[in-house]
Amino acid sequence: MEKPRLDRRGFLKGAAVAGGATIAVEAPALAQTTPAQPKAPGPSAAQMAAETEHPGEGEHLTTEKTGSDFMVDVCKTLNIDFMAACPGSTFRGFQESFINYGKNTKPEWLTCMHEEVSVGMAHGYAKVAGKPMAAMVHGTVGTQHAAMAIYNAWCDRVPIIMFTASAGPVEDRRPGIEWFHSVQDGAATVRDFTKWDDYPWSLQSFAESTVRAYQLATAQPQAPVLITADGKLQEMELSKAANAQLSIPKLNHPTQASADPDALKDLAKMLVAAENPVIFADRYARSQKGMDDLVKLAEALQAPVIDQQNRMNMPTTHYLCQSSRGGPLLAQSDFVLSLEPQDIYGTLNKMTDQLERKTGSKIKKTTKVASIGTHDLMVKANYQDFQRYNATDLQITADPEASMPWLIEAVLREVGDRKSAFDARGEKMRAAYKNFANNARKAGALQWDSSPIGGARLFAELWEVVKNEDWAFVTPNAYSGNWQHKLWPMEKHYQYIGSSGGSGVGYEPVGALGAALAHKQAGGRLPIAVIGDGNFNMAPHTMWTAAHHSIPYLAIIQNNRAYHQEVMHIQRMANRHNRGVESGVIGTTMTDPNIDYARLAEGYGAVGIGPITDPKDLNAAFKKGVAAVKAGQPVLIDVVMQPRG
Amino acid sequence: MKSHILLLAAAILAGPAFAQDAPKGDAAKGEKLFMADGCWQCHGVGGNGAALTGPKLSQTALPFEAFLHQLRRPAAEMAPYEAAIVPDSAAADIYAFLKSRPASPDLKDLPLLQGMGVK
Repeated sequence: MEKPRLDRRGFLKGAAVAGGATIAVEAPALAQTTPAQPKAPGPSAAQMAAETEHPGEGEHLTTEKTGSDFMVDVCKTLNIDFMAACPGSTFRGFQESFINYGKNTKPEWLTCMHEEVSVGMAHGYAKVAGKPMAAMVHGTVGTQHAAMAIYNAWCDRVPIIMFTASAGPVEDRRPGIEWFHSVQDGAATVRDFTKWDDYPWSLQSFAESTVRAYQLATAQPQAPVLITADGKLQEMELSKAANAQLSIPKLNHPTQASADPDALKDLAKMLVAAENPVIFADRYARSQKGMDDLVKLAEALQAPVIDQQNRMNMPTTHYLCQSSRGGPLLAQSDFVLSLEPQDIYGTLNKMTDQLERKTGSKIKKTTKVASIGTHDLMVKANYQDFQRYNATDLQITADPEASMPWLIEAVLREVGDRKSAFDARGEKMRAAYKNFANNARKAGALQWDSSPIGGARLFAELWEVVKNEDWAFVTPNAYSGNWQHKLWPMEKHYQYIGSSGGSGVGYEPVGALGAALAHKQAGGRLPIAVIGDGNFNMAPHTMWTAAHHSIPYLAIIQNNRAYHQEVMHIQRMANRHNRGVESGVIGTTMTDPNIDYARLAEGYGAVGIGPITDPKDLNAAFKKGVAAVKAGQPVLIDVVMQPRG
Repeated sequence: MKSHILLLAAAILAGPAFAQDAPKGDAAKGEKLFMADGCWQCHGVGGNGAALTGPKLSQTALPFEAFLHQLRRPAAEMAPYEAAIVPDSAAADIYAFLKSRPASPDLKDLPLLQGMGVK
């Protein structure tokens, strides 16, 4: 059967008729309750002319190949699997080329309902896949929507290939909307937190800039990059002759910057000489090899590792993983090595949040400090994510993961007669390690029967259901108590991906969606997201994108019915001002009415379970949820929880 | 959590001399005040503590004076509660509520939790 043809003119005509009919039907009902509505403005003379005047016979109306087709050719050389986007007319040519000319494969187009989702899911994806995916955002308004998610990825040092667009030169812009969505400098909105951007003015320039952008995004320190695809370039006809003149440069895969060998030798001597060294791992490991190498370094020194949990750095089952003991270890340390730190000052110092802010050092004055990291290679002036300056005794500017094999070799060369002292230190670490889980189990018992449900109970019941699955967390879970790091055996790099980076609320649902996509691609893993209700409400429609694109994952809503961090901040202010906290719930809580997250998920096409208020019901809910995820569905389980886990 | 407990202990030692007997409070009133005054926000509904924000308070072992001292001049990060916000009598009610709370389950009775983590 022939499908009805819906061309642009037909669509507009149909819309006008349908719109009129709707108004005619609804008008009497509206008249009973509301004042008369103003009539919608009619089309302007220019719009009427555009819709009614036929082009001249000689005017060229169609073409076989356009600039945006070539842009797709460029993207296909970069092995990008996915392009996430909320639709926007400034990239209409580019989108049409991806889905038709590019056959919607590599990259496959993903439909998102907000630019923050497009970018945020690319953020989560890259941390699991180990390579970037792409996001496309509408000119002006799209970059504005995307800004917070870009900032999170910037702070988290995660690569994303982003495109935006502009309607082209002034003489080619249609009056009205195309001007609102055009911009001289499309990247200016987000330049403070992108690594590089460009607005190429030719297709050859587009090819070179896009390949360069990919290379820069993936070189340490990694970060988002942005290319503006000009509207005229997208939609211009590309003749065979012109196409033959274009070339797409080969992508360079540069090695990551390794440390100065002399500096590593000095560092090895300092580490070996130390009586109480402590290794802090921040955004250190990008891969399983990075984790394995850190274990080798720790074992060579029998030195404790504090995993700062911004990446999966150290197996929780290893006795040198002493993350629960950071404070005491720092206090007695004589040497601290920090790997890819974002904030050495904050690691080594504390500041109270009282009326008078007091600072204090967590280490002795004589303690030496060294770092290996790429932080200083990418610092900008405006946003203050560079944190407070902290002097170190040895700062090595290099990628610590790339440098680690050479550091291990240097340490092994220096060990000599220190081995017996290291072995004795190792025994102390084994003894301390045995207490960690026992202390966590005792702490977990305290809230065991609580309703609202406590974090330990949630993670214990969850473990019972998923322990034989290939599970992976796709959210940080700090506010639900970090019980996975205390009680779960976490040994694989992909089992944990750290936090948002910039603490922009809304990362959890969007990062989880992208990470779940990467886990699906990896084959059969069970992604688990424990998402705060405040976070989830920034992007509940992630459940629709997951359902639409068949991205299975288990989303557990940590429903404390509040922006609880802010509840506590208001309480602090009210107490400080001696005004009482009774009104502290104004503007910070999400009650009256309570939100029904399970129904919300079902509305978006996912499986919704809950609300669960009795901890005894968790097991059945998790079993049902995991079965649905294994069947390929996104699942949301609403668990009414304690304010903090 | 351990650091909170240690700081509470330090607060006891650093505070004034403590009498042995607590003023008689009203546990039912105390339960309402525990919620109204926001104690639950850091210490959990029921006062069984939260790993991230505050230690267990239910069945507190602190003498009342030490409890009151922690309220007025808190150790660590806790927001201070002056008498204008929580009078001594209200503090006594909250204290009575916390003392009246049932014990948490014993770990040995929780095989699921016992089975978790490295042994």
